[in-house]
Amino acid sequence: MSSSTTAGAAARTMRVEYINPFIESVNELFQTMLSSKAKRGDVTLTSKGSETLSLVAIIGLSGPARGTVALSFPVNTVFNIVGRLLGDEPTEVTEDVTDTVAEMANIIAGGAKARLINSDTPAIDLGLPTVVAGADYQVMHPSQAAWLEIPFTSDLGNFVLRVTFEFEKQ
Amino acid sequence: MKALVVDDSGVMRRIVIGALAKADITDVVQAGDGQEAVAAVVEHDFDLVLMDWNMPNLKGIDAVREIRAMGCKMPIIMVTTEAEKSRVLEAIKAGANNYVIKPFEPQMLIDKVTDTLARASA
Repeated sequence: MSSSTTAGAAARTMRVEYINPFIESVNELFQTMLSSKAKRGDVTLTSKGSETLSLVAIIGLSGPARGTVALSFPVNTVFNIVGRLLGDEPTEVTEDVTDTVAEMANIIAGGAKARLINSDTPAIDLGLPTVVAGADYQVMHPSQAAWLEIPFTSDLGNFVLRVTFEFEKQ
Repeated sequence: MKALVVDDSGVMRRIVIGALAKADITDVVQAGDGQEAVAAVVEHDFDLVLMDWNMPNLKGIDAVREIRAMGCKMPIIMVTTEAEKSRVLEAIKAGANNYVIKPFEPQMLIDKVTDTLARASA
């Protein structure tokens, strides 16, 4: 697909095909480190990152592409993931829980950014992830770019990936 | 065999340390960023360093440069989400001996560690 899609008049272009590297990166993470398989639902386009899940890791992209990756989980999904990674399943939101969410966002964004560019293109820079715990909040992006939203299901629970970014030269 | 594991994620440090244990490397010091890593290298005599890239205070790539500038010769393996070819080349140029891209299977990390140590002692 080569066309661009927008959500709302304020939204900037966000190409749907940009999402595939992120989906591949999620799949690789689940297969490699969690012995699991993440099944994606339909990709949708939203103008804001409405949030009803309990833990979200947010990581910024800069350099050749600028934007944000947000990975949102119900706490039970993260408890299951931490249990699979470390052997001990937590029962409350500990540092291990928020740390795991942050590192997953880091790995997914890192894997995707390498797939998004040609080998002779300067690397996209990753910011340090921020984790927000709570419910009923919105993740806004200053540029008002559209968010691509992908729900996933797995044997460890469901989660949602949201991505918004644009390349400097389009 | 004494190893330094550097990552701002405590969970990732535990995963790496678990993999090292399977390679019979159990004498491990942890650091949470590049500054702590450089300080640990000043304090201890390491045979191996596993270094993340994106960390607060001092990035792993800059910590590698500082460690090499101190004249330390131990093998350094980058363990990072930075998967671009340009990043790998940058790390090698800075003085890293090997490169592991996250996510990784523990056995793959063990194989890289074993291979890197064998090359360093050859």
